[in-house]
Amino acid sequence: MRIINRNKDKQTFERSSYASAFKQLSGAAIFVASVTLVGCGAPHIKGQDNVATTTADILRTADGKPDLSGIWQTLSTADWDLEPHQARKDAPPGLGVVVGNVIPYQPWALEQKKKNFDNRAELDPRRKYVMPGIPRANYTPEPFQIFQSDKQLTFIYEFGQTVRTIHANDTKHPEGHIDWWIGDSRGHWEGDTLVVDVTHFNDQTWFDRSGNFHSDALHVVERYKPIGPDHIQYEAVIEDPKVFTKPWTISLTLYRHKEKDFQLLENYGFTFDYEKFYP
Amino acid sequence: MKQDLKTFQGKGEAIVNYQINIVRAWIPVLLSCTLIAQPGFAEDKDHAEKPAVWVPNKLSDGQPDVQGFWRPANQGTYSLVNPRNGQDGKPDKDGKIPKRPVKPSRIIDPADGQVPYQPWARAKQQHVQANFNNPVSQEFIDPQARCFPGGVSRQQWWHNTEIRQYPNYVVIIGDADRRIIPLDGRPHIPGNIKLWMSDSRGHWEGNTLIVDVTNSNAKHRLSNEGDFSSDSVHIQERFTFLDANTYQYQATYEDPRVYTRPWTVSSKQVRANTDEPDFEAWEYACIEGEKNTDNYITEKIVSQ
Repeated sequence: MRIINRNKDKQTFERSSYASAFKQLSGAAIFVASVTLVGCGAPHIKGQDNVATTTADILRTADGKPDLSGIWQTLSTADWDLEPHQARKDAPPGLGVVVGNVIPYQPWALEQKKKNFDNRAELDPRRKYVMPGIPRANYTPEPFQIFQSDKQLTFIYEFGQTVRTIHANDTKHPEGHIDWWIGDSRGHWEGDTLVVDVTHFNDQTWFDRSGNFHSDALHVVERYKPIGPDHIQYEAVIEDPKVFTKPWTISLTLYRHKEKDFQLLENYGFTFDYEKFYP
Repeated sequence: MKQDLKTFQGKGEAIVNYQINIVRAWIPVLLSCTLIAQPGFAEDKDHAEKPAVWVPNKLSDGQPDVQGFWRPANQGTYSLVNPRNGQDGKPDKDGKIPKRPVKPSRIIDPADGQVPYQPWARAKQQHVQANFNNPVSQEFIDPQARCFPGGVSRQQWWHNTEIRQYPNYVVIIGDADRRIIPLDGRPHIPGNIKLWMSDSRGHWEGNTLIVDVTNSNAKHRLSNEGDFSSDSVHIQERFTFLDANTYQYQATYEDPRVYTRPWTVSSKQVRANTDEPDFEAWEYACIEGEKNTDNYITEKIVSQ
């Protein structure tokens, strides 16, 4: 069904029918990317400064799509705080992953966020090891594994019981609203980018340990763009008209685990308090 | 068309909506997870072997293509030796207790269908079993009832499972647990790491997937009747695919700390959701819906 082409072998790549189509597309893609950058009006797009679009280095499946299979993890401190922050007792420092640095809260929601922050040690849903929601699952500081087929991608996260299917078979979201912890994910490919529309969320998860939050009106559009064999530039546009004044974007890099025989373990942390009863 | 959302909203949600005394009455039913609607017991051919003549489609890495949803022909984790889908019912108005149909033991070796416990281990298992219906303290509550992962073989007859295959991997997804089985011959993880769902290494021999399982934390139970192993257990699984719609699951348990000899459980598995080609397994969220399993404890309920 699928083989991994290591397209560093340029000859292999050139022979594939996808290669010629890609050449035509790449010029357009660069143009679109430039327009996007200008259109955002953001002189500094986090995480994208050193994005060399060396598409020849991307691993590809037999049908020419980028192959996202592998075990990935963020090196950012996004899970502690999406926004730029200095070191504090309960968080390592970070430049932040929010494009434009500031999350555009409605006034009431900013007050709520501050309350959440003040009580973060008790209120962060993460401490109960529930599923962290999307996009937070992707920058939880633990690895996750992507398995890819032509109809669907399976994301298995080490943290909690989180298993996620991204349906990539032209199906639509089920009718709703449905309160799900990690929502309903439907994906498609735009060139070398996997674009995933995620909806049907509950209001029970936070974006980070700093109390950044959302309502059940959350809608996330994710973009997974490989920028080499071992890196994915991950972007998520976050929209929630009940909480924010406008959509906002996070951007961060996912790194492939290269250690020999690396694998996911388990973190069913909700069992910790009870394990003493089952020696 | 798709699975009823309410069914998937976690049994914990259901629990807290009931009065506590009703919860108590329903514990055995919930523990055996009958909330997921299943067809009744299918024809019992758990122990039948067919000649392996099936020629499966092959995936790009050479694996037989066995992807999709599967269900145990005889579902229910209540008992290994008297398999049934939940405990017997509540007394009717004449005081008669409706009996659940009991199937032959899942244990095919030894021939008596019993787990060959060492005497101390048999005593421990019976102690847990005796306190199952009336749990007076935490250790009598089956970890499965707390939405903890069910363990390697119990996953096979708890709920439906979905098999997904990718180059060098078989992935088995259950409602509250998942297994990633590498096929690349890598060694097991260090022995001091213990996991709820153990550490699995697989390879195919024809139409049979053979999985070597180690690193169990042994905190799950093998049934509601207190069956258990130690964390030294070594399990050899065989998924023998007999035709496009059937496979025979076998797991051989070896654990000299607990048993007098190796023993083997077996379960026929058949295709699930066959009338729904576009079926999707939706979010289960078991632990997320769980409010407080401490309320299962009988004494606490009595004192309230």
